[in-house]
Amino acid sequence: MPNQDVFLVEGKRTPQVKSGFDLKDVSAPFMGVPLLRCLLDLNNIDEMSVDEVILGNTEAPPQYANVARVMALMAGLDSSVSAYTVHRNCASGMEAISQAFLKIKGMRSHIILAGGVENMSQMPLIYSKEMSELFIRVNKSKGLSEKIKALTQFRPPHLSPIIALEQGLTDPLCHLNMGQTAELLAREHNISREEQDTFANRSHSLALKASEGGVFVDEIVPILVGQKRDRLLRTDIGPRRNSTVDSLLKLKPHFEKKSGTVTVGNSCSVTDGGSLCLLASSDAVKKFKLDPMARVVDFSFTGLSPERMGMGPLSAIDQILNRNELKLDDIDLFEINEAFAAQVLCVLKGLEDEKLAKEYGLKKAWGKIPYEKLNVNGGGIALGHPVGSSGSRIVVTLSHELKRRKGRYGLASLCIGGGQGGALLIENLHS
Amino acid sequence: MDFQKISFVVTEGIAEVGLGFKCDKSLPLLDKETLKELDEALNLVKEREQEGSVKGVLFFSHHKRAFLAGVDIQLISDCKTESEGAEGAEKGQSLFNKIEDLSIPSICCVHGLCLGGGLELALSCDRIIASDSQSTFLGLPEVKLGLIPGFGGTFRLPRKIGLPKALDAILSGKNIYSKKAKRMGLVEGIFPKERVVTMARVLLDEAPKSKSFKESLENLASDNFLARKIVFQKARETVLRKTQGFYQAPLKILDVIESGFSKGRSSYLAMEAQAFGELCSSGQSQNLQHLFFLNEASKKVPKNYDSGKKPKELNRGAVIGAGVMGAGICWLMAKNKMYPHLVDLTFDALEAGIKQSSHYFLSQVKRKRMSYDELHILQSSITTQTNMKALGQCNLIVESVVEDLEVKKKLLQDLEDNVSDDAILASNTSSLGISEMAKNLKKPERFAGLHFFNPVPKMPLVEIVTHEKTSKETILSLHNWCLRGKKTPIIVKDGPGFLVNRILAPYLNEAGHLMAEGVSPRLIEDACLNYGMPMGPIRLLDEIGQNVASKVAFILQEKLGERLKPSSLMKDWEASDFQGRKNSKGFYEYDEKGAEIDFSEAFLKVLPSPAKPMNEIEIQMRIFLPMINEAAFILEEKIVEHASTVDLALIYGIGFPPFRGGLLKYADQEGLERILEALIDFSKNVNQERYAPSPLLKKLVADKKKFYD
Repeated sequence: MPNQDVFLVEGKRTPQVKSGFDLKDVSAPFMGVPLLRCLLDLNNIDEMSVDEVILGNTEAPPQYANVARVMALMAGLDSSVSAYTVHRNCASGMEAISQAFLKIKGMRSHIILAGGVENMSQMPLIYSKEMSELFIRVNKSKGLSEKIKALTQFRPPHLSPIIALEQGLTDPLCHLNMGQTAELLAREHNISREEQDTFANRSHSLALKASEGGVFVDEIVPILVGQKRDRLLRTDIGPRRNSTVDSLLKLKPHFEKKSGTVTVGNSCSVTDGGSLCLLASSDAVKKFKLDPMARVVDFSFTGLSPERMGMGPLSAIDQILNRNELKLDDIDLFEINEAFAAQVLCVLKGLEDEKLAKEYGLKKAWGKIPYEKLNVNGGGIALGHPVGSSGSRIVVTLSHELKRRKGRYGLASLCIGGGQGGALLIENLHS
Repeated sequence: MDFQKISFVVTEGIAEVGLGFKCDKSLPLLDKETLKELDEALNLVKEREQEGSVKGVLFFSHHKRAFLAGVDIQLISDCKTESEGAEGAEKGQSLFNKIEDLSIPSICCVHGLCLGGGLELALSCDRIIASDSQSTFLGLPEVKLGLIPGFGGTFRLPRKIGLPKALDAILSGKNIYSKKAKRMGLVEGIFPKERVVTMARVLLDEAPKSKSFKESLENLASDNFLARKIVFQKARETVLRKTQGFYQAPLKILDVIESGFSKGRSSYLAMEAQAFGELCSSGQSQNLQHLFFLNEASKKVPKNYDSGKKPKELNRGAVIGAGVMGAGICWLMAKNKMYPHLVDLTFDALEAGIKQSSHYFLSQVKRKRMSYDELHILQSSITTQTNMKALGQCNLIVESVVEDLEVKKKLLQDLEDNVSDDAILASNTSSLGISEMAKNLKKPERFAGLHFFNPVPKMPLVEIVTHEKTSKETILSLHNWCLRGKKTPIIVKDGPGFLVNRILAPYLNEAGHLMAEGVSPRLIEDACLNYGMPMGPIRLLDEIGQNVASKVAFILQEKLGERLKPSSLMKDWEASDFQGRKNSKGFYEYDEKGAEIDFSEAFLKVLPSPAKPMNEIEIQMRIFLPMINEAAFILEEKIVEHASTVDLALIYGIGFPPFRGGLLKYADQEGLERILEALIDFSKNVNQERYAPSPLLKKLVADKKKFYD
């Protein structure tokens, strides 16, 4: 089988903004436009030379059914360039990169733009089933009298809307919402409230330090925001300046009001944002004289029971390390998406604890990930988790930090709603 | 019968008349031959109608984007006398009467533009249908040429769509796009362009729809004496407000429609033809027709620069400097899908530029020329950055940074290292030398000036400023790009103030000198406004900013000598903090909406007293004669080749009154000899240097020639 190296030429992201704030008027495709333009222009690649655009997106905005295609055309790519949208919940962005990886590795493509975009502010309210059926009946009925007759069946409760976001974050099989799955892990593996809040506080302070220290300048592309597109946004809105463990401890549990430990403070926030990576074959690197940041080594996706989805990274990391014959120590930097502090802490425990590792089907424990190597610029708790984008956002942040540290291997991993885990391994070419 | 200009076939009892057949011009026109052939075709239809072999007639066009662009303007401008004009109109009228008088049904299929005589033809058919294409629009733009629609348009349009809507369309001359035309009842139906003719055949078999209840109500409302009187009165008021009474055509149109409203067709049309004759032989209409030809000529590839090569398509742009002008140019690029880069030193500066551009788009949204979605797409296509990276794909880079020669020179050199080899570089300077900037460039041939006017969306003129080494290809590519952006480009050689600002200088200077002599600013403003200028010189200074204007004025004086000496007041203004509207310290005070209230006290205080009386004509001569004189210097120095370029530039660059046909056309009409005498007189009695007549002017007078010879 033909086989060639796949290069991560460069990755960029928009600022990540808590939903309802500065990015609320910027629909999903618009988040990709400045990223695509920036990646192509910085690397001097023309609009005809892109083979494909793949974007992760979970909100599926009704007016933009294929977000990736809309974004590609808006950004001025030639209409002959193919584009499609993928959905693997929280790992949609990583799924996009993985597909690009396979296509380039298999020598079918040379230049692919892959990433994710999500505007959670714009997730709709949905009419209830009863109301929708009523609409259909009114539509179908002929003549005024029949229409009125159909309308008489209307009852005010029909109007109470379903919040698409809330529904999307609840597993349809185990009927737990994502927060409740985190509570389950915290309960089962004894993760205390203090541990979670300490971890959350770390995320905020690291993110703030990175943001203020200009660490994100290389990865963030400024974006025009507002209904009039007359403001320029270039910093994340989410990390809290005045966060302390004590203040976090004062928050009430959100998902299990009485006995729970998971609060909005130690969970990721609902956030808008986008991220995009330029991936290229070695031929394309030569042709366009590119200077790639990293080589994409491998990816893996694994599954587990939906109610323990937070442990997804454990098996995914296990698989990718095994397949590439690497030890945990070989990895110089980790980005594990922080959906919930409880969930990340459980994954760390599972990597370290032989018994827990076996419980989740691993052959052995891998050891400890030191905090100096983990989410060193904060994570989802501070920066937020725009679902369709996070899978590629952590790859973007990982690649930039790995280059800065001159480390070799970097590993991005995240848990996936519905009970899956994803991991992606890159090798820095600037070490 | 052998037709050359139109096609004529009869299929299944329907006579199909195709216009724009084998069209050798860019747009199909009603020229002499077409009119003749149409007449013959109609005679054929009439014959067969009597035989009973034709049961309907259908008009359409073979042309891809036009039904008919109206009567050939050349034909109109050839009418030198009233009677020639009236006769020409009558010929057209009787032709269209023939269509109207057919006893078989007639239908007109419009796709693409349908203007003037084209719409008048359509109106003489029983029914009009149109394509739903965005390039389909109808209208009677004659008023813009100082004319009345002379082929029965003013008779038939009010009867088709009602008086108020018809008056609006005829008096404004605006285009009516197909959807709106359907709404207002001008066209009966709109269909995809491929289906229009098929649908016309179907419709010819059906009886026309009777008027809807709403239409009947509307007719009732406007079809009585009192309502009509009010409508005409309102229309007259609007016309006077919009034209300041400078234009005779709209008033004439109103007179004809009002006094002929209850008359029958033949006597009405006789009035219309008479009015057409009067207007088309008037000086004003000829000036406007002159402008029309200038405008058409500016769209053609300039001969001197035609290298035979195709101009490069400039499709990716960048603007360096996000000030008001930079943002304006960036807006233009974004609007034309060039995915521009906007570069400035700080994000604050970039954000200010972005705001400006958004503001321009928003005003289009407010006027319903654009949707919010389009605003989002176009505005979001702007990339902002604080460095010179990532410009490799751009093929037009315009710098619009601070007016400082050294800064610009260094920037251009930096740019050369950051852009692709075949990118064109341009400077939007208004006062610095293009040749000087080109000096240190590695590839000066791809560099030129590209001088826009503020505000970019409103001002159509762009000066393409060349220096000795600018290549023909560069000039042509920029020229072509300006046209694609719906701007009017003129090509000028490098020289202080280029063309427009150099002629504007005496306009502003002389106003200053007059004030320094004690002439009241109100008198000066009124004299200029009454001449037809859109803005008096003092108000214009507020708009430019006194500090900017003074700076430019002194540069011009330094380079061109004492002829362009600014008034003594200029120095004071430069020192004071008069910056016009920018810091709300101008000559005028403005209300919250930005409308002027009156002169500010602070300004009136610095003026000399006692006031010196001066009559309006003398003020106008003091201001406009030095402008004519400066234009003569410009022609002599070959900054531009021809007087027509000067005229076009001033009309589109500073709003010189169009009905005067341009500054030099006006000079020709006034008589150069008189102008020279007046200048000599001023140079003796007012100031020797400022009014010293140019050698070219003297030579023209000696040779008994005109600027336009």
